[in-house]
Amino acid sequence: MRPKVAFFDFTCCEGCQLDTLNIEGQDLVDLVSAIDIVEFREVATGKADRYDIAFVEGSITRESEIPRLKDIRERADIVIALGACAHIGGINCLKNHLPMDEALEIVYGDDAKYYDTIPARPIHAVIPVDFSVPGCPINTAELLRIVKELLLGKTPALPNYPVCVECKMAGNVCVFERGGSCLGPVIRGGCNAVCVTAGRHCWGCRGLVDDPNLDSQKDVLTKYGLTVEQVVEKFKIYNTYTEVAQ
Amino acid sequence: MSSVNIKVHHVTRVEGHGNILVNATDGKLEEVRWEVPESPRLFEAMLRGRHYDDVQHIASRICGICSIAHSTASLHASEAALGVRVSDQTQRLRKLLFNAEVLESHLLHAYCLVAPDFFGVGSVIPLVDTHKEVVVRAMTLKRLAYHLADLLAGRKTHPISCVVGGFAALPDMDKLAAVRGALVDALADFDATVDLFKSVSVPEFERETEYIALKDPAEYAFISGDVASSDAGIVPIDEYRSVTNEFCVPHSTAKYTKNEREAYQVGALARFNLNHEQLHPRAAEAAVELGLKAPCHNPYMITIAQVVESVHAAEDSIRLIDGLLESGVHEEPEVTDIRAGRGVGAVEAPRGILFHEYSYDDNGILTAANCVIPTNQNHNNIQHDMEALVPTILDRPQDEIRLALEMLVRAYDPCISCSAHLLQVRFK
Amino acid sequence: MREHSVLVVDDEPIVRESIRDWLTEAGYRVTTAETGEEALELVAARDFSVLVVDLRLPGSTGLKVLEAVKSERPWIRTIVITAYPSAETAQEARRLGAIDYMLKPFAPDDLERLINDTLASIPPEATVIGEAEAPVAAVPVAEAIEVKETFVVDRDGLRRLFDGLAATMQTIGVVEKQGRYVFARVDEFDDLCLNYDVTAHPPTRYLFPARETVLKMDLGESPTTEPISEATPQVLFGVHPYDIQAIELLDEVFLTKHSDPNYISRRQSTVIVGVDCLRPSPHAFAPSMGTDRADTGFDLLLTDLGDRFMVRVGSQRGADLLAEHTEASAPSDKEIATQKALLDAARDQYEVTLNVARERLPKLLEDRYHDEYWEERSATCLSCGSCIMVCPTCFCFDVVDEVALDLKTGERIRRWDGCMLTDFAVVAGGENFRHDKASRFRHRIFRKGKYVLERYGMVGCVGCGRCKTACLADIASPAEAFNAIAEKAKIETARRLIGKASPDAGLYAPRPAKLLRVEELAANEKVFELAFEDGSALGHDPGQFVEVSILGIGEAPISISSSPTRGDTFELAVRNVGNVTRALHNLKKGATVGIRGPFGNGFPIEALEWKDLLLVAGGIGLFPLRSLIQYVLDRRDRFGRVTILCGTRSPQERMFEAELAEWAAIENVEYHETVDRGDDTWKGHVGVITTLIPELEISPAKTMSVVVGPPIMYRFVIGELKKKGLADEQIVMSLERRMKCGVGKCGHCQINGVYACQEGPVFTLAELRSLREAV
Repeated sequence: MRPKVAFFDFTCCEGCQLDTLNIEGQDLVDLVSAIDIVEFREVATGKADRYDIAFVEGSITRESEIPRLKDIRERADIVIALGACAHIGGINCLKNHLPMDEALEIVYGDDAKYYDTIPARPIHAVIPVDFSVPGCPINTAELLRIVKELLLGKTPALPNYPVCVECKMAGNVCVFERGGSCLGPVIRGGCNAVCVTAGRHCWGCRGLVDDPNLDSQKDVLTKYGLTVEQVVEKFKIYNTYTEVAQ
Repeated sequence: MSSVNIKVHHVTRVEGHGNILVNATDGKLEEVRWEVPESPRLFEAMLRGRHYDDVQHIASRICGICSIAHSTASLHASEAALGVRVSDQTQRLRKLLFNAEVLESHLLHAYCLVAPDFFGVGSVIPLVDTHKEVVVRAMTLKRLAYHLADLLAGRKTHPISCVVGGFAALPDMDKLAAVRGALVDALADFDATVDLFKSVSVPEFERETEYIALKDPAEYAFISGDVASSDAGIVPIDEYRSVTNEFCVPHSTAKYTKNEREAYQVGALARFNLNHEQLHPRAAEAAVELGLKAPCHNPYMITIAQVVESVHAAEDSIRLIDGLLESGVHEEPEVTDIRAGRGVGAVEAPRGILFHEYSYDDNGILTAANCVIPTNQNHNNIQHDMEALVPTILDRPQDEIRLALEMLVRAYDPCISCSAHLLQVRFK
Repeated sequence: MREHSVLVVDDEPIVRESIRDWLTEAGYRVTTAETGEEALELVAARDFSVLVVDLRLPGSTGLKVLEAVKSERPWIRTIVITAYPSAETAQEARRLGAIDYMLKPFAPDDLERLINDTLASIPPEATVIGEAEAPVAAVPVAEAIEVKETFVVDRDGLRRLFDGLAATMQTIGVVEKQGRYVFARVDEFDDLCLNYDVTAHPPTRYLFPARETVLKMDLGESPTTEPISEATPQVLFGVHPYDIQAIELLDEVFLTKHSDPNYISRRQSTVIVGVDCLRPSPHAFAPSMGTDRADTGFDLLLTDLGDRFMVRVGSQRGADLLAEHTEASAPSDKEIATQKALLDAARDQYEVTLNVARERLPKLLEDRYHDEYWEERSATCLSCGSCIMVCPTCFCFDVVDEVALDLKTGERIRRWDGCMLTDFAVVAGGENFRHDKASRFRHRIFRKGKYVLERYGMVGCVGCGRCKTACLADIASPAEAFNAIAEKAKIETARRLIGKASPDAGLYAPRPAKLLRVEELAANEKVFELAFEDGSALGHDPGQFVEVSILGIGEAPISISSSPTRGDTFELAVRNVGNVTRALHNLKKGATVGIRGPFGNGFPIEALEWKDLLLVAGGIGLFPLRSLIQYVLDRRDRFGRVTILCGTRSPQERMFEAELAEWAAIENVEYHETVDRGDDTWKGHVGVITTLIPELEISPAKTMSVVVGPPIMYRFVIGELKKKGLADEQIVMSLERRMKCGVGKCGHCQINGVYACQEGPVFTLAELRSLREAV
């Protein structure tokens, strides 16, 4: 019996859902023979009443989204946060640093009165979430692993070591040694350090490890030349919602 | 005559959330509305205060499908504002990267979002059983595009290596050569795609409107050139506002635009209408095969124009890769010299012309941003199209009307979540 | 059989010709010479494999010929023959490199055999034939390439070697990357970097990659697996000695005991061409770890002399490859000197050293296990894993299963893991056995300085300095940790000396004790009751011993035979076996002896309480066991069932009969006695003590057994006790050794690594399992 799977999205760029359709090395064929996609608004017309697994992309940034999310929770056995926005709030939370009125005014001017927005938050702030696929965008290999493990009856777990482990495994030269700065040492691995391998640094899109040594990381960053404000700014981009940047 | 009450909540098979409303009583049309209830993203507010090294990274997240378009427009705007020039190598690499997205996005749209309607199914998934070959072909081509983008920028969705001034990592030439080979093979698949879309019956509907796209005398423009209009002339991209003229409407979190007429259209059809003479040979042939002739005023043909552009993108990619293989790629120094300023970047995202405008201070910190998204520019046109279409089909069964309207929206390949956050910004 | 050429030099025609004929018959190409000068001319003109030379020649002597040969063609094997042997000439000949010194007359087949054996080690490629030009400069000649020998190649020669290797295997070398060096595929010799300080990542990743498939699996109803170990032939070109030693450690780990198929196939397909490090990294401390040079572990080892390379052959494969792909010549003395100077200069460049000899590290660390250093130093640790991921001697890993989406096939993957990562020691259910940074940090340093050395006999840290560079919090360097610990130990020791440490004044001075009572037990055994002058108790535990001094005669260790529960006096039951005990036996009541102690660990009362006891005394094993038996009877309610077995050789040798009878009569004590051989008076059990055991009914789970007796008895009694189901931890014994100082310093009582007077004399069988000398 293939599990009934649905995809939902809230405030997001839909990149994580899109990537799901482009699973590396797997045809859509294989995926649909393993799971029964009953609802996936972006690519399908169709609805269902109940789901075994509901993937949710996007964070909650409006009042009107909350009842819809709760409804999904009611109708799904397993809810999985798909991507950074759903998992930790993601980029959407950057606006939380501004008072909401000011943000709306900046963007909509006099017409701001037509729009409502609340501080962005990850979905676990609204409903209990069973599992998460972190990242901006997700690492589709990780999504596949989680799906396979659920099919096998395992309890999927995310790596609890920092990006540095995979960065070294990939044979990269450390960003700090190249004169840059990087959040890797406190950010959860599982992305294969793709950003560092592509010549850049870690922005922290997968969220913090379970027990990050944040004081030490801040010390490291200041040792390598950043001011405290710059350090906080670095964490803000994805990790506004966690204690860190607050 | 009966009543027609159509309310499509969150149209499926489009990116983002849009609603269609039609109310008619006794043959009299009362209301036709295209609504965009998408959450405001507020990117302009979020970009303020960021260092230029982070701006492309954040701006990319405006959209998951056209993240390369946003990244490129963002980088062009930052470079224009900061006074950074890029090398010929960078321009060629960026064009190639852009082609990968055009290819992927158009194929996704044509096969996954639109084709199901032509085959009378709800999604591409049933097609896996009935038209396996077709679907497999599409997936293979899409994967090739993904792979090309991976090679150039580390990742297709939210590209990593593209930075102000160029690229932080260079592609492996051996792997690039392999992609070239795969593209050449894929051209044959394109013939099959053309055949497929030749065989479907595209709804007939015409409404002449203004068409706006980038125009570059040297080539079919995607990331270069000026703003051209089918009605008016050509305007440098710095003066884009005179064209876009944004305004708000109450029922939409997206702003609308208009220029010479009450609405204008951007996208593949607009590009085709303005630049069709610059298509590469096989793409031009494909247009002929598909019965696409300029000027074309049928919005349902946007998808067909996308198919033509896919062929063009594949041909162009082969040309660009040949050039890169011959010249090789070389590491370039990082940007160090910047100045305060204001600049505009304009690209043709798969859905149409896209503008990013930024201001920076002399520390390289962004002080103001404005983004005008293609789909924004189409919302008004969609509204007008619907107003023109509905009266002509009001006598049909409700389901047919509904489907025709959904197909109209889908034809535009809207990218709604991008569009919900552009707006007016006070520039200093 | 190969043709080798031999030059025979002797002024006597008959010797010359007979050797020539014999060797030609044996297949050699023989040339002869009559005089020293002739021989020298021949040697100058062409090459030979072997020279047989008589010492006494007209004109130039045989030794002069040897000297000339050594300087011009040092590879020629020389054999001296003479009718007039002397120590001086023999020594001189040896000094000049002769392989043998044969006395005339000798059997020609002995000479033939000697020559055969000598030449047998030369591989077939060696060519020694040909007319050489007048030797001006050293003309490189394809030489007999031998393992352990050193040669010289110029840059082009090395290039040819590289290109030759590249034709059949992947070439991995060092290149620059983003300001550092890394190992990567290198296709062109000129792209190779041979003068680098250190690579960011170690070359061990080419033998033990970050991720590899070990099994392919087919899932479903009856799953099957297929081991996968693929390896592409590769050469690691430019490996520094410390990395070579790290590879040797990995060889030890993975090639011995449960040899790893994946490692083996990679290792066997890998050629290692090392290069000496002449430009050490500022963070490296290889000399302190003995790893800046390598003697083994490589196929070839290069030293860059500037315009040419010294090449040391480390294996047969290295010899074969060198001979196959390039020409190498013998090094000149100057080149050898240059190499030495370069290596010495390199050694001087190291900026970091250990302030303590590395052999001391295991003990130093052990003593500092609870030091606050671990917690303090690791406070800033990010648990990022960088230190372990760049370490050449780290090899911990995880094994995970991955499946295909159709759930029909899968792979079992091995990938790197490490003790510094937070969840390394987590078990299902959530318990984390190394949950804090301090314990993880300490474990890593202990691995590097102690555990690996103790387990594998090789250094656990090769001093490459990579972890120091990679650690963002800058706490990773083992050198810094070792030095910090050594510093603390120094401070502690200094404090101990400077401070008001009070010496143990009475350490070797015995306390006087009076003999209150002397009683005969048997022919050679007496029991003495003693008390100290001031009436204070000895304060001993059952199972301990004292050193009894008869001043002027000496000291002897004697087990205490009475329980501390029996008042302030104590009893020593003593057999007369030596000088001290004889003197003791001659003393009468009222005499004074000296007592030091009590020493030793005593019987483990806590482990015995509340259990059923099976106490087995064989012969004079009763002496120490009696102290325990008395103790148990005095605290009877703290023990379960008590069974006492007593055995002696014969009824005459029974001792403490009255007390034995008491024990037999106690109601809640089961008492059995036996004698090896009985007599007419003996009505009891006859047989060795082991015969008492089978019929006992005991509950093995709650029984502790204490056995004391002669060594021979132990083996058999233990055998019976094991049959009864007792575990090693439940069997307690007391061992005899030569105890002297009693305080664990004089060394006499050592059993493997422990002192019987400190960790014994009472041991459980479990403890003894790791003391191989014990029983």
